[in-house]
Amino acid sequence: MKKFLLVLLLTFSLVAFSSNVLVVGTTDKIRTLDPAKCYDYFSSNILQNVLVGLVDYEVNTSNLVPALAEKWEVSPDGLVYTFYLRKDAKFEDGTPIDASVMKYSIDRAMKLNGDPAFLLTDIVDSTKVVDNYTFQIKLKYPFSAFVSVLGYTVAWPVNPNLYPENGFYEGAPSASGPYKITEWIRDVRIVLERNEKYYGPAPKTDKVVITFYESAATLRLALETGQIDIAFRHLDPRDISDLENNPNINVLKGSSPQIRYLVLNTQQAPFSNPLIRKAIMYAVDRQRIVDDVFVGLAQPLYSMVPMGMWSHEDIFPKRNLRAAKRLLQQAGYWTDKPLTIDLWYSPTHYGTTEADVAQVLKESLEETGIIKVNIKYAEWSTYVDYFLNGTMGLFLLGWYPDYIDPDDYLWPFLSINGAKSMGSFYENPITESIMKAARVCVDQNTRSDLYEQVQNHLVVDVPNIPLWQGVAVVASQKNIKGVLLEPTQIFRYYLIEKK
Amino acid sequence: MSLKDYILTRILLAIPMMFILLIVIFFVLRIIPGDPVLAMLGGKAPQEVIEQKRHELGLDKPIIVQFFDYVGNLLKGDLGKSTLTSRPVWNEIKDRFPATVELTLFAFIIAVLIGIFWGSAAAAHRDGLIDISARVYAVFIYAIPVFWFGLMMQYYFGMILRWLPVAGRLSPIVSLDNKTGFFIFDSIISGNWEAFIDVLKHLLMPGVTLGLVISSIFLRMVRNNTILMLSQDFSTAARARGISERRVLYKHALRNAMVPILTVMGLQLAILLAGAVLTETTFSWPGLGSYLVMKIRYRDFPAIQGTIVFFAFFVIIISIIVDIINALIDPRVRY
Repeated sequence: MKKFLLVLLLTFSLVAFSSNVLVVGTTDKIRTLDPAKCYDYFSSNILQNVLVGLVDYEVNTSNLVPALAEKWEVSPDGLVYTFYLRKDAKFEDGTPIDASVMKYSIDRAMKLNGDPAFLLTDIVDSTKVVDNYTFQIKLKYPFSAFVSVLGYTVAWPVNPNLYPENGFYEGAPSASGPYKITEWIRDVRIVLERNEKYYGPAPKTDKVVITFYESAATLRLALETGQIDIAFRHLDPRDISDLENNPNINVLKGSSPQIRYLVLNTQQAPFSNPLIRKAIMYAVDRQRIVDDVFVGLAQPLYSMVPMGMWSHEDIFPKRNLRAAKRLLQQAGYWTDKPLTIDLWYSPTHYGTTEADVAQVLKESLEETGIIKVNIKYAEWSTYVDYFLNGTMGLFLLGWYPDYIDPDDYLWPFLSINGAKSMGSFYENPITESIMKAARVCVDQNTRSDLYEQVQNHLVVDVPNIPLWQGVAVVASQKNIKGVLLEPTQIFRYYLIEKK
Repeated sequence: MSLKDYILTRILLAIPMMFILLIVIFFVLRIIPGDPVLAMLGGKAPQEVIEQKRHELGLDKPIIVQFFDYVGNLLKGDLGKSTLTSRPVWNEIKDRFPATVELTLFAFIIAVLIGIFWGSAAAAHRDGLIDISARVYAVFIYAIPVFWFGLMMQYYFGMILRWLPVAGRLSPIVSLDNKTGFFIFDSIISGNWEAFIDVLKHLLMPGVTLGLVISSIFLRMVRNNTILMLSQDFSTAARARGISERRVLYKHALRNAMVPILTVMGLQLAILLAGAVLTETTFSWPGLGSYLVMKIRYRDFPAIQGTIVFFAFFVIIISIIVDIINALIDPRVRY
């Protein structure tokens, strides 16, 4: 029996890879490949490699560049956007991508009202076909970051022959970008192959196979055993530092637009007292979180607008325990009459590191000698319920942008409606009016000044405390070239090659 | 009671059972905090959008109305649509279930073989080396956490020896015409032997891991029951008639010992079909167990309910089959 097993195992020796196929492993999942419904990272990632939008981002920057739209104009009142489309863009089946396709797609996304639709329905009033290749969008109110919104897949054209007008589409999209999908076994793998109908340059690798793993540990093993060429999302921080010491593996780190922060419920005692909120702002130890929990795979953040984006400013103060103590004493708390607070976190939604973060925060607040922290946690769906209802006073939250613009890092948290849906219940008519002015203003320098003013208010009112900015990580075999971790989070398979 | 009546009664009894289960699942899901729209859009979309989504999904109706809507659809064979992906739940189950079946059957065969052969041998040589090693093995295997065992297998056979792939069902570069979702079956009917070997290679580690873990349960049961049967009067009588010990063991003792074991095996198989969550996660096996865990996290009510109803249906079918087999081999069961 033993001999038989051994022979069986030996005959099953591993098959060697062919070199023109790139194999990518991930623990993420594809939920849907209908742009009207797609609102999670990995589904967007696939769409960004098989479809094109009106605009794109220049490689490795957050600058918007023309894609389907060769150019665009904005009416003087900022309400009407006119896009002039390129004439050589087609879907996989040869259907040209013209103004009527654009209208169909955007109207459909708004009508179906899928998860990301609010990004459009909040702003867009109507769409119009001017002529075959000229397309207009009319806004409800002037919004300076509108073109950035069009950079997100919800506004990208879909093939009307495939995507029904009145319902979501379950299958693989008809490609308009560098790759087409030739095989898709859900949660097993998806295969991308070169799309000959694409107007742009051919991808560096003709075929990409993306395989799905259920855990970070198996993803790491798959990379180490050579089953995959690239491990993209999500390796554990400890695994990453191990892989960095592996001579056969390249580990690339890049900036990520994800920010993590503390929310303080400004309507709930004791956090309704600005002195307490400020004391916490001085007491948090960002460096220790970054060093101890993320082993360097994160950067301390002192602004709600992330590093690398215009109008970012290190406005929040560095750690200062004396200032924290003084503020707490002003608020009437002393060493023998300490302030007891609850700190909340959600154990899996932001990865497995969250409990450690809460522990470090607890310790750094307790170092004042005047605060006692109880750590509490709730599973994500419960957690959301709690922060919408104002149950939690102090809790950890994170944010991925929907469009690459400072507006998306301030308006959702600080506008009166936004703050309600983010659990701080912050209300300040002054910041509200400044942000409104910035949303209408077209000039970037003026907007930058306005956002600076908003951030100055933030340090006084402290509804949120930025803690750290994520670092995106990808690990690959040594012979893989052209992997980029871009500030926009777009991961372009078509630039990667195997040497 | 005739066999036919017996079967009919069992099936009729299954209906209220399903209904009670449905009530429990439906209401427990809605009593625990958290709702699907919040899990999906919370912290992102404005409050009005969240309200509107709730309305679209019918979550703003009274719970009792939602329940009868659900039961109504279920009777029409409609499990509803996942709130997370908008796909029909039945399609999602169809995608995932074959993986679970493949893994389960493979593991089950290993467990049954080990259980029956080693278990009966241990019973025959009570307190001998085979018996002692069987007892140690059973306790040892039963005590090991399955994910740890899986990780060690992955480390040794995947990392050190590099004989077997560490995870998944199919190598990225091996192509397979996916018709039924049962990859072994698909590769055989398409005559794709490269894929067949590849699928088998992927199946080996998770299958053996899971198989060994359940084999300990079977092993102990077979051993204890056979020992009991070997000391019964009919065994003594058989020996007195000069029948060989081997024949007494296999023809008489083991056969009688199998009656209660069959029930346990049947139910164990049903439980396994409901997803071996830890094994599936450790080996990134895209089966129903890991599917259910993911859906619970997102409070995807239709998907959770649908999967559980599907499991329940399966458990009931298997237990009816087991009862029928028992009734056939042991007429006392029916009366």
